[in-house]
Amino acid sequence: MATVTEVPAGTRAAVGRRRPSRPAAPPPGAGPERDTRGKRTLYALGGTLAALVFLIPLVIAFVRAGQPGDVIVAAPDARFFDLSWVNFQAVVDQPEVWRGILNSAIVSISTAVLTAVLATLAGYGFAKFPFRGRAVLFGLVLVTLMVPFQAILTPLYLQMNVMGLTDSLFGLVLFYTTVNLPFGIFVMRNTFASVPAELEDSAHVDGAGTVRILVSVLRPLVIPGTATAALYAFLASWTEFLGALTFLTDSSLYTLPVSLVNLQQGAYGQVNFGLLAAGSVIAMIPCVILYVALQRYYVAGLASGSVKG
Amino acid sequence: MSTLTHPRRTGLALITPAVALVVVFVFVPLVVAVYISLTNFPLIGPYRFIGFDNYASVLTDPTFWDSLGYTLLYTAIVTLPILLLGYGLAVLVRSNRRGATLLRTIFFVPFVIGLTTLSFLMLLEAQPNSGMVNVVLRFLGITDGSTAWLVDGPLATGLLCVMVVWAASGLTMVLLMSGMQGIPREVYESAEMDGASWWQREMQITVPMLRRTIAMTVILSVIGSFLAFTQFYILTQGGPGSETTTIVMAIYRRAFVQLQLGAATAMSLVLVVITGLVTAAQFWLLRERS
Repeated sequence: MATVTEVPAGTRAAVGRRRPSRPAAPPPGAGPERDTRGKRTLYALGGTLAALVFLIPLVIAFVRAGQPGDVIVAAPDARFFDLSWVNFQAVVDQPEVWRGILNSAIVSISTAVLTAVLATLAGYGFAKFPFRGRAVLFGLVLVTLMVPFQAILTPLYLQMNVMGLTDSLFGLVLFYTTVNLPFGIFVMRNTFASVPAELEDSAHVDGAGTVRILVSVLRPLVIPGTATAALYAFLASWTEFLGALTFLTDSSLYTLPVSLVNLQQGAYGQVNFGLLAAGSVIAMIPCVILYVALQRYYVAGLASGSVKG
Repeated sequence: MSTLTHPRRTGLALITPAVALVVVFVFVPLVVAVYISLTNFPLIGPYRFIGFDNYASVLTDPTFWDSLGYTLLYTAIVTLPILLLGYGLAVLVRSNRRGATLLRTIFFVPFVIGLTTLSFLMLLEAQPNSGMVNVVLRFLGITDGSTAWLVDGPLATGLLCVMVVWAASGLTMVLLMSGMQGIPREVYESAEMDGASWWQREMQITVPMLRRTIAMTVILSVIGSFLAFTQFYILTQGGPGSETTTIVMAIYRRAFVQLQLGAATAMSLVLVVITGLVTAAQFWLLRERS
């Protein structure tokens, strides 16, 4: 689900990036804080406490992934911190979870690439080309931001079935791409709209065609927008659950969350909680790494006027 | 922007693949859904037109109303805590104090990890005796640590709500923080000179000026809660019985367990209308104050 919203102007640069600190003149728009000693203490205390509340569960997850299955379901004892790689070895050895990881990687990377390419092309078209029906078609794309796919699941399933796209990773990629496209197009249209027209005009005078202009002149300017679209698409599809559960019935095509839920429900024999913990941590790691590394693009996406939730 | 440097046909060609996907996978199903909802569509075999029978049976079906009621209850429980926690975190990290950037990242990480993965992890920690939820509660002397959270409707709902509030407040935080940073400092300085306390400044300046942002974050979280499925499917499978069955899960079961696609599609369309109304309310709210 995604929704178009407005974020007050002038806030984009402020989010998530450290600005040069100038203690003498605090930057404008930093809230009602006037630092006193008491407030600084309160901040340090509250910040530390809140950080622990948010971090400890994630640390526990990593500890669990290092515990054998029987320790995970036993009351904590001396073995609690006897950590090993045995669960990760089991992930590699057990075809179900390993295949789930590969399938999830294939699907989410393909979705990210396809979304980025299609959104970039469409964003360019919508921002710079004065064809008839442009406003209507762009409106059509924006309206889809308001139709949650959860609500059209059954007709969508029937249609994908008729088109031979169920039980197909390619079908799942097309589905995820469609879900992520409206937001991507919105971001890319804004990105292209902010590129000065003179740039293209001079390239055109030099005899460059549309593709040449896009690839060699505009690319460096719009890469941040493309990265935003790709990042959102990857994060949305890497552990997407309802669509994968609905559209895939062949167990060799299961993505990671679907294979984990089958593991949990005992489809592969006795439930191995160690495998479940390791699988969950493996599901978690790419999200955290990508988010921390590409935070700038993530926040740019939030601030560019749209929100994926 | 001239048609010489930007031929119309090229523009159409550029947008066609993306628009085609959106039409094929969103608009066509939406239209087909209306037709299917008027038939007794099974997964296989012949079907026939039955008018509004599906809607009649859905609207008189207690499991539909139960799931709708449960979804509303769940939404009602989590919405305010997400807003309050998100607001509190935003207050904590909105200035450029040392470590604020790091804290922003930390508070947002659960949202990025997503409820699918968090639900699997919660499954381990909700186990009686061994799970951290119980270990901590026993350590604090609140319970004896043997609570079986996931097989009791109200307990499971409570645990799920805590997890969702923890995971989702980061998004509210980021959105509110952007809004707060956009409020000019001078506004606060003059209020401070008038002797307004911190609480007064917060309630009389920040909250009114952020009304639109707050409305937007609330609507985002309401829609998200209304479409909840994954965390319930993984943690309770909608049980015990159908006590924790949300509306999306009820649709999923109707369609893919009971194989009544016509009725399931009718339920879907009811959901499309409800979420459409919430979204329309969102635009109305945002427009009114602009």
